[in-house]
Amino acid sequence: MVRMAARTLKRIIFALMSIASVALILSALFLLTQTVQRSDDFDRLQDIILIINVAGGLILLFLLIANLWRLLRDYRANVPGAKLKARMVGMLVGLAVLPLIVVFYFSIQFINRGIDSWFNVQVEEGLENAIKLSQAAIEFRKRQHLYATIQISQKLAVLPDRQVIFELSMMRRESGASEMTLYGDNNRILATSSNSATATFPKPLSEEVSLQIQQNRPFVSLEPLNTGSSEIRTAISFTYRGNQALKTRVIQAHFPVDERLGEMISSVENSFSEYQQLVFFREDLKDLLTITLTFVLLLSLLAALYGAFVLSRRLVAPIQDLVAGTRAVAMGNFDTRLPTPSRDEIGFLVKSFNDMTQRLATARHEAALSQALIEAERTNLEVILARLSTGVIALESDLKIRTANQASSAILGINLEKKVGTLIKKAAKDQPLMEQFVDIVCSHLDAGETEWREQIVLREEIGRRILTCACITLPNDENNKAGFVIVFDDITALLQAQRDAAWGEVARRLAHEIKNPLTPIQLSAERMRRKYLSSMDKQEAQILDRATHTIVQQVEAMKEMVNAFSDYARAPDMEFSSFDIDKLANEIIDLYRAQENEVSISLTSDSAISLVEGDVGRVRQIFHNLIRNAVEALEGTTGGQIDVQIGPAEIDDIKMIQIRVEDNGPGFKTESVNQIFDPYVTTKPKGTGLGLAIVKKLVEEHIGTIRAKNRSDGGAMINIYLPLNESSREQMIAKIPGRSETRRGQV
Amino acid sequence: MFNLFSTSFFKKQICYAAFIAAFIFGNCLADDTAEREGYFEVRSAGTELVNEVHTLDSRLQLVLSSEALAALESGVTLTIEMQIQVIRVRRFFVDNVDAELAIRYALEYRPLSQRYIVRNLNSGDQDSFSTLYSALNRLGRVQNLPIIDDALLIAEKPYRVRLRAMLNTQQYPASLRLLFFWRGQWQLQSEWYEWQLER
Repeated sequence: MVRMAARTLKRIIFALMSIASVALILSALFLLTQTVQRSDDFDRLQDIILIINVAGGLILLFLLIANLWRLLRDYRANVPGAKLKARMVGMLVGLAVLPLIVVFYFSIQFINRGIDSWFNVQVEEGLENAIKLSQAAIEFRKRQHLYATIQISQKLAVLPDRQVIFELSMMRRESGASEMTLYGDNNRILATSSNSATATFPKPLSEEVSLQIQQNRPFVSLEPLNTGSSEIRTAISFTYRGNQALKTRVIQAHFPVDERLGEMISSVENSFSEYQQLVFFREDLKDLLTITLTFVLLLSLLAALYGAFVLSRRLVAPIQDLVAGTRAVAMGNFDTRLPTPSRDEIGFLVKSFNDMTQRLATARHEAALSQALIEAERTNLEVILARLSTGVIALESDLKIRTANQASSAILGINLEKKVGTLIKKAAKDQPLMEQFVDIVCSHLDAGETEWREQIVLREEIGRRILTCACITLPNDENNKAGFVIVFDDITALLQAQRDAAWGEVARRLAHEIKNPLTPIQLSAERMRRKYLSSMDKQEAQILDRATHTIVQQVEAMKEMVNAFSDYARAPDMEFSSFDIDKLANEIIDLYRAQENEVSISLTSDSAISLVEGDVGRVRQIFHNLIRNAVEALEGTTGGQIDVQIGPAEIDDIKMIQIRVEDNGPGFKTESVNQIFDPYVTTKPKGTGLGLAIVKKLVEEHIGTIRAKNRSDGGAMINIYLPLNESSREQMIAKIPGRSETRRGQV
Repeated sequence: MFNLFSTSFFKKQICYAAFIAAFIFGNCLADDTAEREGYFEVRSAGTELVNEVHTLDSRLQLVLSSEALAALESGVTLTIEMQIQVIRVRRFFVDNVDAELAIRYALEYRPLSQRYIVRNLNSGDQDSFSTLYSALNRLGRVQNLPIIDDALLIAEKPYRVRLRAMLNTQQYPASLRLLFFWRGQWQLQSEWYEWQLER
C-alpha cells in the first residue's frame, strides 16, 4: 500500500515537472516574442527570459536523464517490458530526430545563403562610388570655398580695422557664406557677420581648427548640422599689416551646402551607412538566427525525447501490467485484475485476460468447494468408520494398507492406523491374530478371489476369536489399479451370548423341571424313614436308613445343582455403587480362611485403589466363585496357596482395576482351556462347571474382561479387568466392537 | 529490425546528441579573443558647489572594443551613457537614491565627411571631430555639468555621489541585443566611481 502511494506521488511529481518545463519554455517564448516587438522591455525581461529558459531546459533535461536512467536500469534488470520500451523509445527518437536534424541543416543553409544573397557586390560598389562621387563634389565645393576664403583673407590683410566690419559683411554676402568671423590674438573675436538675424554669438575656434591653423594649414571641412543639413567650414590664418607690427589673424567662414545637393548627399550617406550596417550585422544576424534555430531544435529534441519516453511508457504500461498479471496467475493468484487502458487491441487483450483470470478463479473456487465437499465426505466416512464396530481395511492393489478403522485395530489387536502405507504382510509380522487374519485373506487374494465371504477363527493364547469376514474389489479408476476392502466383524461375543442364552434357557428349564419333583422325593424319603425305620428290624432299618439318607443327600445335592443353574440363568438388574474393594476382598478371604485350614490365602492390594464403582453383590459373587474354585482345585493338595492381588491397570489408556487369583494347584487341562468359561465345563471332581461361567458372565456384565491361563510354575491364574468407574465403563463400551450396544442394552 | 535499437544504438544516439550540443555551444561561445577588448573607466570625478548648484567635473577613459569600433566605422551609432546618482546616506536603513541623472551621447561616423559626430542626446548639441580619439576625448571630459540644486538636498545629511559610464544598446533591435548579451565586447561598462558630496 505504501509502495503504491509512493509510486503515485512520484508520477504526480514527474507530471508536474513536465508541465512546468513546457509552461516555462512556452512562457519564455512568449516573453521573447513580446520583447522582439517592444525592445525597451528586453533589458527588463532578459534575465527573466534567460532564467525561465534555463529552468525549463534543466527540468526537461532532468526528466530526460531520469527517464533514461530508469530505462537503462530496467533494461539491465530485465524488467518485463523494458526491452520493448527501449526499442520504442529508439524508434520514436529516430523518427523525431532525423527529420529535425534534416530541417535544421537545410534551415541553416537557407538562412546563410538567403542572408548572403541580400548583399550584392555591385550594389556595394555602386554605393561606394556614390560616396566617392559625393565626396568629389563636396571636395570641389570645399576648394571653391577655401579659395574664396583665401581671397577674403588677402583683402582683410590690408584693410584697416575700422573698415573690417563693413567689408566683412560685404565679402560674406559676395562669397555666399552664411557666417564669417575674424579672430585676433588668443581667439579673440574681432568681427563677425551672419546672414541670420537671430544668430547666436559665434563660438571660439575649436581645438582642431586652432591646431591646424597653428601649423599654417588651412582648415576646410564638411560639417553635419543638427538640422540634418551640412555646411562647409573653412578657416585660414593670415598676417595683418596694420599700423603697428604684423599680427596673425584667422578668418573662419561657414558656407551652406546647396539644399538640393545636401539632400542628395544626405541620401547617399544614409544609404551607404545603412548598407554598411547591414553588412556589419550580417554575420551577427546569421549567428542570431542560427542560435535561435538551434535553441528551438534543442527544445524540440528534448521535447521529442521526453515525448518518446512518455509515449513508450504509455504504450508499454498495459503490456507490463499483462506480464505482471501473467506472472501472478502463474504463481496461482487468480484474483489478479488489470485496469482496462482503452478500447483498442491492447484493451481487448487486457479484457480477455481479466475474463480468463475470472474464469480461472471461479474454476478454482468450484474445485476448492468440491475438494472441501470431498474432504467433508471423507471425514464423515472416517467418523462413520471409526464409530463402526465392524473392522474395515482398505488395501491397495499391491496389498499395502490404504486405510483401516479403529474397530479393525481393536479386533486384530494391532494399531493398524499407524501401519497405513505398509504391506499388510509386513504389518502382521509378530502379531499372532493379525498373522492368522492376513494368511486367510492372502490365501483368497492369491487364489484370485476378488469377492469372498467367510467366517474365520483366530486362535488366541486363551480362547479364540471368531470373525465374519468379507472382501470386495474396489472399482478401478484410470490411474490406480483396483484395491480391496475387507470388512470383518468379531462375532465371538455374539456367539458367546447366544451360547450363554442357550445355557440360561437350559438351566432355567432344568431347574423348573427338576426342582419341582425333588421336594416330594425328599419328603417321601423322610416320611418313609420316619414311618418305617422304627418298626423295621435292625438290618432292614439300616438299609432303609442308608437308602433314605442317600435319597435325601442326593436330593439336596440336586437342589444345590438346580439352585446353581437357577443362579446362572437369573440376571437381576445391575446396581452400581462405590465400594471399597479391598475391604470386600478381605471380608470374603477371612471367611474362607476360617473354613479352610489346609489352604493359605493371601491378599495383596494396592493402596492407590480404594473405591470402585460396580455392583457390589456381583463382585462379591466373583470373589466367592474364584476363591471357591481355587479352594476346590487345591483339595487334596498339601501346601495349597491362593494369592489374590488387587491393583490398578490400564487397557488402551482406560483406567481399570485388576483382580488376579492364582493358585498352585494342577491348573487347567490344556485340551479344555478354551472352554473353561463355558457352563458345565470343569476339571474338578466335585465342580458343577458353572463357577467360572458365572464369573465370566458377571465380569462381562461389568464390561470387563477375564482371561485364564496356566502359570509357568504350575497352577492356574485368572485375570479380571473391571472398569474403575462409570467413565471407564463408558470408554470400554465405546471401544469394544460388537459389544457396546449389547452391553448398553443390558446395563 | 529491432536489433538496430539495442543498447549500442542508444549509445550512438547519445554520442550524436552530444556532438550536436557541443557544436551548438561551441558556436554560441565562439569569440575572437585576439581582438581588442574595450573598457570604460572613470579616472577622476568630483563635484563643486557653484551658485548653490552642484556641478560635476570628471575625466573618463573610454576605449572601444574592436567590435564596437567596427560597428562605428560601419555607420552604427553608439550610445554612451553616463549615469550619476546622488545617494543619501542613512544610518539604520539602506541608503536612498535621492536623485538620478543619465546623460546620453550619440557617437557616429559620417563616411561622406569622414568625421565623428558627438551629439548630446539630452540637449541636442553636437560637435564633430576628424579623429575618434578627439571624439572620445571630448566624451571623456565632463566640465561644470550641473547635477542637482543644493536646495533639493536635506540639510546636514551626508550624501554620496557616484558615476559610471556604459555603452547603451537599447536603441538596437531586440534580436541584436539578445546577441550582444552574449558578447563581452558589447558589454562596456565602468565600475561605479563614488565620492562624498561636499557641501
